[in-house]
Amino acid sequence: MQHSDKTSTASTTGVVVAEEGKYLYCVADAGERVSLGRIGIEGHEVYTIPYRDICAVVHNCPAQPYQSDDQEVVKAWVTSHQKVVDAIWERWGTVLPLSFDTIIKGELEKSAEQNMKDWLKQEYERFKGKIEKLRGKAEYGVQVFWDPKLVAQNLTQTSPEIRNLDEEIRTKPKGLAYMYRQRLENLVKREIESKADECFKDFYGRIREHTDDIRVEKTKKVEPSLSMIMNLSCLVYRDTYSKLGEELDKINRMKGFSVRFTGPWPPYSFVGGA
Amino acid sequence: MEPTRNSHATLVDLLDRVLDKGLVINADLIISLAGVPLIGVNLRAALAGMETMLKYGMMKEWDERTRAWEREQRQKKVEPICTA
Repeated sequence: MQHSDKTSTASTTGVVVAEEGKYLYCVADAGERVSLGRIGIEGHEVYTIPYRDICAVVHNCPAQPYQSDDQEVVKAWVTSHQKVVDAIWERWGTVLPLSFDTIIKGELEKSAEQNMKDWLKQEYERFKGKIEKLRGKAEYGVQVFWDPKLVAQNLTQTSPEIRNLDEEIRTKPKGLAYMYRQRLENLVKREIESKADECFKDFYGRIREHTDDIRVEKTKKVEPSLSMIMNLSCLVYRDTYSKLGEELDKINRMKGFSVRFTGPWPPYSFVGGA
Repeated sequence: MEPTRNSHATLVDLLDRVLDKGLVINADLIISLAGVPLIGVNLRAALAGMETMLKYGMMKEWDERTRAWEREQRQKKVEPICTA
């Protein structure tokens, strides 16, 4: 292994072992140095590294990413990560979470802990700004689905263009009908998109009124029978999320539509960027 | 409607956040995952059959358009509004 040379150099010179790392869970709104017990990934002791009135929440580990082909193992790691972030969130109210497997490394001349402190120092103003913006708020996931078959059915009844084309097809000989069906499919697709567009803008406006900030995420295929037309991460004051819930109820009650409302999550989607 | 965080039903929502998002950190401070297959990718695919709609072609452009529209809205939002 290439690694071993470096290790021996580091340890024989008695400086710092380059392979030492700190697994980083989150930055929190507290300036204490405390141990939170063995609540970390694989039972590691989780503790804080403070700088002024903020701290990094970490455990000690080798400077190697956690990797496994075993899904159960990965699931356990990710769940532990989340539990630590939750515990900190509960304890100190505001957290800036890191994604899974963020490990700060040490260098030959500088320990991982020093690297961590320098990082907190260097980014202090930015982190304070984020903490202020996020105080008292949580992230909620909002996904809106519709049943495309139902929508298409409705469209065939309400769109004169589609209805005309549909009727025309019935009078055509088989060979031509195929071409017409393609035209019909394209037309339905266009109309569905324009309907989705209309719904998206309508819902977006209504949801935005009850949120402090929104991120629009990519839509996903989750179930074959339902299409996701909207996938949002919403930053909301923790004590007013019920207003958002009421608005979502209205959408959920619409025929052919359904809403998934998840959270509260630590504000993962609102800590990126400057 | 009340938000849910039931650990089974929302595992995918959790993974979307814990694996992809969070505070950005200088690349030279952290252990690099370059060249290493990103953890969680297979897990996620296996858990939820989460091929994006993009795979199906259906509404791909639509999805991109709405997100572009939303970015514009956000930019408009931060611009000062003249109320002459």
